[in-house]
Amino acid sequence: MTELNKEYEEFQNPEPCLVKVQLFEGPLDLLLHLIKKNEVDIYDIPIAKITEQYIKYLEFMKVLNLQFAGEYLVIAAELSLIKSKMLLPKPVIEEEEEDPRAELVRRLIEYQVYKDAATDLSGRDVLGRDVFKRDYTDTFFEQEEEVELIPVDLWSLIEAFREFYKRRSYLWAEEISFESESISIDDKIEQVIMRLQEKPHLRFDELFDDCSSKFDLVITFLALLELARMDNVNVVQESPDSSILISYSGELAIGSY
Amino acid sequence: MDLTDLKKSIESIIFISDQPVSVDKLSLAFPNYERAQIRKCLKDLVEEWDGLDRGFLLSEVAGGFQFRTDPKYSEDISNYNKKVRKFRLSRPALEVTAIIAYKQPVTRVEIESIRGVDSSGVINALLERRVIEIKGRKEVIGKPFLYGTTSEFLEVFGLKSLNDLPTLKELDEITQNLEPSITPETEIEESTTL
Repeated sequence: MTELNKEYEEFQNPEPCLVKVQLFEGPLDLLLHLIKKNEVDIYDIPIAKITEQYIKYLEFMKVLNLQFAGEYLVIAAELSLIKSKMLLPKPVIEEEEEDPRAELVRRLIEYQVYKDAATDLSGRDVLGRDVFKRDYTDTFFEQEEEVELIPVDLWSLIEAFREFYKRRSYLWAEEISFESESISIDDKIEQVIMRLQEKPHLRFDELFDDCSSKFDLVITFLALLELARMDNVNVVQESPDSSILISYSGELAIGSY
Repeated sequence: MDLTDLKKSIESIIFISDQPVSVDKLSLAFPNYERAQIRKCLKDLVEEWDGLDRGFLLSEVAGGFQFRTDPKYSEDISNYNKKVRKFRLSRPALEVTAIIAYKQPVTRVEIESIRGVDSSGVINALLERRVIEIKGRKEVIGKPFLYGTTSEFLEVFGLKSLNDLPTLKELDEITQNLEPSITPETEIEESTTL
């Protein structure tokens, strides 16, 4: 029990809400560990002793509130079955009966073979860990998540503008009107295209950076709507809460309007 | 173009390639040369680069040739280029990779029966990393997928081909590691030979 306490301390984690800790790769790994720890012959496993320790371990994991997969219970049941078979008095000798442990031993050894093979693989000079090649690209090793851009529908666009207009328009509470300077929607479209051609994309609010009046805001927005309607710009966002991005789809040369 | 030129030309092609350059691809690029001549050039190049004792080497991997850095400098490379994040393979990922590498083509159920645990998550992660791929379906009930390793697997582990995989440890060695003092019984040995 003292040993269990020691291990309890070893595995106890300062973070109380940590629920799942991979102590062993699986039940076979745990069994191999117990066999090694007890220094017993794998071909003559003292089943009663190992089973007891195995079940103690599961209980210990339960105490720690660790989850363990159902596979652990399957092996626990197998161990109990083997144990009971070995306890049964041998009937009158018929043939050489197979050791009830044989199948389990076969599995343990097979697993150990691949555990060793895995260690050997890891011991090699692994590309991206120990050795590097030319033109190292992150994408080869890191599956960088491709951001799926979702198209923004008309209503979201209008909603975004409504919000934006509310925030911005106070700047020009007292509208000063320069009738002569008012710009046509066609001219505004050209301006927007020119700005979009300079950059891969503009954020929705950046689009209105050079606006100096409420009228300007509205006409810029109308220009955007027109461009979107004609499929000359792509209006996308990464998620419904992220900023709206506008990019030029390159289908229209300046001057067509 | 004489053979020295051919050698230098091949060298420059390997230099710019991010994939291992195979003799097949080179013989397409140099139709006027025999494969034997190309092979000779490659062999000379490998030896010359070895002899130069530089920070990188010409290595034969995944059926081709590739310049790779000396493992001695992996830390410095990672420090210099923070983008070069260390490639980590978890213990379960290594186990599944090993099982697939040696037993391919193999189904998920077969992998899981060896490991004794559910391995679907690990298999999916390895598929995403292109270390393994689906090779087909097994003609049994449910037609499960058969998995095998890719050429990226060979590249990652620096193997020339699958034949280059080290042979699985002999049973004796395994049991010796587990229990140094006792010799295994022969009858069980038979069923576990791989």
